[in-house]
Amino acid sequence: MKFVDYLTKIDRRIIYVILLAVVVLPLLFPSALSVRVMPPVEKLFHAIDAIPEEKALIIDFDYDPQTLPELEPMGFAILRHAFSRRIKVLALSLYVQPLGLAQNALIQVTEEFNSTAQTNRDSVIYGRDYVFLGWQPPPLIPILGMGESIINVYRIDYYGNRTDTLPLLKEIKNYSDIALLVSISSGDPPKWWVEYAQNRFGLQVGAGVTAVSASEFYPFLQTGQFSGLAIGMKGAAEYEELVDNQLHVAGRRKASEALPSLTYAHLVMIAFIIIGNIGFFIKRRQK
Amino acid sequence: MKRTIPLVLVFIFGLLGFIPFIVPHEIVQSSDDFLRNNFLKILAAFALILGLGSLLRVHIDKIKRKGQNWPYSWVLIITFLVTAIIGLFGGVTGQGVLPTRIGSFSFDIWTIFFNIEVPLGATMFALLSFFMASAAYRAFRARSTEATLLLVAAFIVMLGVLPLGNSISPHLPSFAQWIMDVPNVAAQRGILFGVALGMLATALKIILGIERSWLGGGGE
Amino acid sequence: MDLILLTAIFVLTPPAGVRAYDTPDDRGGSITVEWNLSSDDAAVERYDVYRSDNGVDYIKIGVIGKGRSVFEDETENNKEYMYKVAAVQDTIIAFSEPSMRVKSVSQWIDRKKINIVVAVFIFGGIILYFIYHARKGKELFIRKIAGVQAIDDAVGRATEMGKPILYCPGIGYIEDIATIASLSIIGEVAKKCAQYDTKFINPHFDPIVYTVAREIVKESYSSVGRPDAFDPDSVYFVTDSQFAYAAAVDGIMLREKPATNFLIGWFRAESLIIAETGASTGAIQIAGTDQVSQLPFFVTACDYTLIGEELYAASAYISKEPLLLGAIKGEDMGKLVIVSILVAASIIGLVTKLHILDLFR
Repeated sequence: MKFVDYLTKIDRRIIYVILLAVVVLPLLFPSALSVRVMPPVEKLFHAIDAIPEEKALIIDFDYDPQTLPELEPMGFAILRHAFSRRIKVLALSLYVQPLGLAQNALIQVTEEFNSTAQTNRDSVIYGRDYVFLGWQPPPLIPILGMGESIINVYRIDYYGNRTDTLPLLKEIKNYSDIALLVSISSGDPPKWWVEYAQNRFGLQVGAGVTAVSASEFYPFLQTGQFSGLAIGMKGAAEYEELVDNQLHVAGRRKASEALPSLTYAHLVMIAFIIIGNIGFFIKRRQK
Repeated sequence: MKRTIPLVLVFIFGLLGFIPFIVPHEIVQSSDDFLRNNFLKILAAFALILGLGSLLRVHIDKIKRKGQNWPYSWVLIITFLVTAIIGLFGGVTGQGVLPTRIGSFSFDIWTIFFNIEVPLGATMFALLSFFMASAAYRAFRARSTEATLLLVAAFIVMLGVLPLGNSISPHLPSFAQWIMDVPNVAAQRGILFGVALGMLATALKIILGIERSWLGGGGE
Repeated sequence: MDLILLTAIFVLTPPAGVRAYDTPDDRGGSITVEWNLSSDDAAVERYDVYRSDNGVDYIKIGVIGKGRSVFEDETENNKEYMYKVAAVQDTIIAFSEPSMRVKSVSQWIDRKKINIVVAVFIFGGIILYFIYHARKGKELFIRKIAGVQAIDDAVGRATEMGKPILYCPGIGYIEDIATIASLSIIGEVAKKCAQYDTKFINPHFDPIVYTVAREIVKESYSSVGRPDAFDPDSVYFVTDSQFAYAAAVDGIMLREKPATNFLIGWFRAESLIIAETGASTGAIQIAGTDQVSQLPFFVTACDYTLIGEELYAASAYISKEPLLLGAIKGEDMGKLVIVSILVAASIIGLVTKLHILDLFR
């Protein structure tokens, strides 16, 4: 095969092997890349930071194992932010698959804080500082129902405790006591929160979404329907950067660790596209 | 009659879906709640039974006929039955009547989910990155002015979202953000607008019985 | 004396003008209480809201922060209540005058949605007008959609090669319009397969969609006089797990090597996995979805892509039924009317001080 033909017909297996190498090698030989924080993530950070003491933050954990690498770091970073600022947190999932992942995130971040806490006040205590509400199908039930009463929708929490006995839920009754809801999702839930909860009850909504679905959520950010937006692994890395720099909260920065792999993979794709186009142009000229 | 009854049902239930949107009265809203929370769930449960029945029938037939790759049908049926029994009788984390632990080896439904389904799903999702690379290499050619413009914009956005983009030029990330905020949103809004109106028109056509191809068969 | 003087200085002005009314446009069970802020609002800690159902005994039902003057109360329908609001600063409480008696009721019409209903009726009316004209035999021009035109050739290709056709309706549920549009097309494709005796493979993600599709395909085979050719195992449920479904479809593509793949419906991240695998087998691929995030993947990996509402128009295009073509024409005209209204409203909103946007809230 002529070289020019080869440029336009590289075996896909070669592409896969090269891509595998550039993704795996940076994970085996870590390096740090600087992260510039973009406005959508800054908005989300400031929206959470501005939550007053008497109000709470709801985090809707709606990612599944497939989108965990992109979205879990966001969940961790937001939890660290909330707990470091003593913001009350209600966690829930609209589907059953993310429940275990949400629980995992809550347990890990709680342990991070409690391992360095000196007093009861510093500690993150279940029922006082955060509650895991669990799952209540179908999705519209909690989205609409919590506008009237949270404990009516979730009569027991994920662990089987009666929600009307939990101290946090004696103060936080419904959406009027919620300053912001952040939906960390790989699908449509952020839109549902806007369509139903925001339209009917005025709830402020922020979102953390995968990179592939980001383009459909930009209009919501532009119109102010989203108070902020974190996109993909880069967005998670930006949020980790803010939490680390501004709040000095230590913790593993999974998204930032994966950023070199992401960078080099992008560059490899760009390189192959350029190679393909070079071959294409040469062939066109020859004709 | 065979075609009239479904059309009448579609009309009635279509209206029953639309009316609660504009009538907030308690009577209407509670009926809507009942339809959505009870009726639909029961319907979905029966449909699931039909679906599972179909899946099993296809594979049992394959085994009987010794069709192509028939041993894998045994794999499917056995894993289906084992998982169903463990899920139904073993409890989510092993609290059911069926014991799901031998020593330190646990095989409750949560363990099966996290150790089999999760890695398999993650593997399939990971394929996306490889397929994206091969698809981009194969299809992204600057064949025309518009294609070239698209390619350049793609490069700017891809580089702009990376930390490297900031090293190339401090304006690159902002320009990439502008592309996502302005032309991208404009195009998205255009498509969304058309899709929203198309959805409304399709829903109207189905409710009013104008669109009947979903009934199957020939026209009237 | 000093104590009396201090007390005189710290008397709090109560909130005034407490108005309670039935929360409008709701299903009842809610009363909205509004008041004018205390003139000492800067010093106030909070406002306490009190309710009575006999005008004598008041109980505290809610608390709201300073600077805020609206409170929504959960109530029993058709029961009368009265409200008082108290400005609170430490131990100093200043009560307002009571409100008038009020009760909550369910409303029959949500007035905030009247504009949407009017728009739906206008749009629907335009569609029905064009359908009426189509019924009278008027010729209607619809532009060509490459993907739809290619369906016949694609089915013919599969027949000539002796290979099957794969129809994948995506991972949507029956309430998704894209899934319904896909089911509208599946019947037409199934008819062609029945006529040409081409093997038809149709794996499903959702059990409800599967049951509907099975009946559609069966009816389609019967309608062209080939009920015997219908294989019930050709339409089957696979799994309702997204990536397991993608793996199953990929497996079918690699084993059965269909000549033509239809990927029409509601897709998410698995779209490229399915489309790229199909491309690697050399099949002709016709895709269609209204998911904006998946369109680039289909455009890249497939030969023809129906974008957004082209998918909804496809069944009309294939069947060439005058009623459906009239509906498409009506949709387009409706869009033109709506876009014109939006452009006019935008200009008016920019150039004048009229609150034109309120019409669209």
